[in-house]
Amino acid sequence: MFAVTTLIAVSFSIGSFRIAEADRPFLYAVLLWIILVFSALSGLSRSFVKEEEGGTMDVLKLSARPQSVFLGKLFFNLTLLGALELIIVPAFILMMNYDIQLPTFFTAMVVSGGIGLGGGTTIIAAMIAQASARGALFSVLSFPLLLPLMITAIKGCEKAAVGANSPGWPEVRIAVAYAIVMIVMSLLLFPLIWEE
Amino acid sequence: MYSLEVINLSKHYTETLLFKDISFEMHPGEVMAITGWNGSGKSTLLRIIAGLVRPSSGKVEMSIQGESIPKELRRRFVGMVAPAFSLYEELTALENLEFFCKVRGIAHNRESSLQMMERVGLAENAHKFCRNYSSGMKQRLKLAQALIHNPPLLLLDEPGCNLDSKGMKVVESIISKQRQWGMTVIASNEKREVDYGDRVINLSE
Repeated sequence: MFAVTTLIAVSFSIGSFRIAEADRPFLYAVLLWIILVFSALSGLSRSFVKEEEGGTMDVLKLSARPQSVFLGKLFFNLTLLGALELIIVPAFILMMNYDIQLPTFFTAMVVSGGIGLGGGTTIIAAMIAQASARGALFSVLSFPLLLPLMITAIKGCEKAAVGANSPGWPEVRIAVAYAIVMIVMSLLLFPLIWEE
Repeated sequence: MYSLEVINLSKHYTETLLFKDISFEMHPGEVMAITGWNGSGKSTLLRIIAGLVRPSSGKVEMSIQGESIPKELRRRFVGMVAPAFSLYEELTALENLEFFCKVRGIAHNRESSLQMMERVGLAENAHKFCRNYSSGMKQRLKLAQALIHNPPLLLLDEPGCNLDSKGMKVVESIISKQRQWGMTVIASNEKREVDYGDRVINLSE
């Protein structure tokens, strides 16, 4: 809902006519990733908080291996994020009249960025679940952790829009590497977070 | 042959000391009752034994045939019920049991889950959503969840919480069955529940 509301607000207030054509690829990439990241932050942060608030956290701790819990939450978050991207990205392209020269590169960037975003938000969600000031803490922790991914994804989407094809899609490779590092590190660190 | 050893266990939060140097040993067939004033650390002691909370000092050792069980594997051998625990309200009671079986990696069919529901007196309400359960029914379901993997160590924090006399009979039968082969630790101030214990530790002393 947050994503749809933001998308409609952005498309009505900015539209495709108020931005100079030369600035569009960059600004649209920024706007798209702002919508995706903040939607992810508002929704995915709840994945562990729900267990804590529902009182099911301890039963889950006693029943399941920490890694299984993390992977379960990660797959849930990735599915949610995938569904969000499936709705938001085409809607954004249509509503903003976003002209993309390299659609395959653009799709790979959105998918790999989404996986990195899912990995990052899942481990942050686990960290904040037992804290009292969850909202503030989530923003504080997310910003430095997700910034490199956001910059890369924006750059990649901009390149895809203008048709500046770099051999080997370096931005996609960075995003994939980010996702792998984030998920592997999370699997190693999660048992420590999961315990008291 | 399982055994549980609690060695010089102490717990304090910042400046509040809950308990100090608690030690005991348990073997199959034994029931231990833990009592003490509110805030004396009964629930915390059970949570430490389960591996949910780290002690400030001391350790908990659980062994099988004299071989120590690593802490990260202890959950497989522990079943716990506590007032603070909840199950998934959006699932039916049976789905809850089946979910925890899957999560624990136990091969379990619907029939054995229904037998467990029968054991805690919930067979007729097995397909009801947990959100529609009364607090007593939820307590019975928590007991079923704790027993689903046949744990050699059963930790019961106020097991009679919200239960009527029929529910208390269920608790009684669970404890007497567990006494045949496993260990049970009960944390309570209710005389009836404390009386199940062969030994009593009072944390207020």
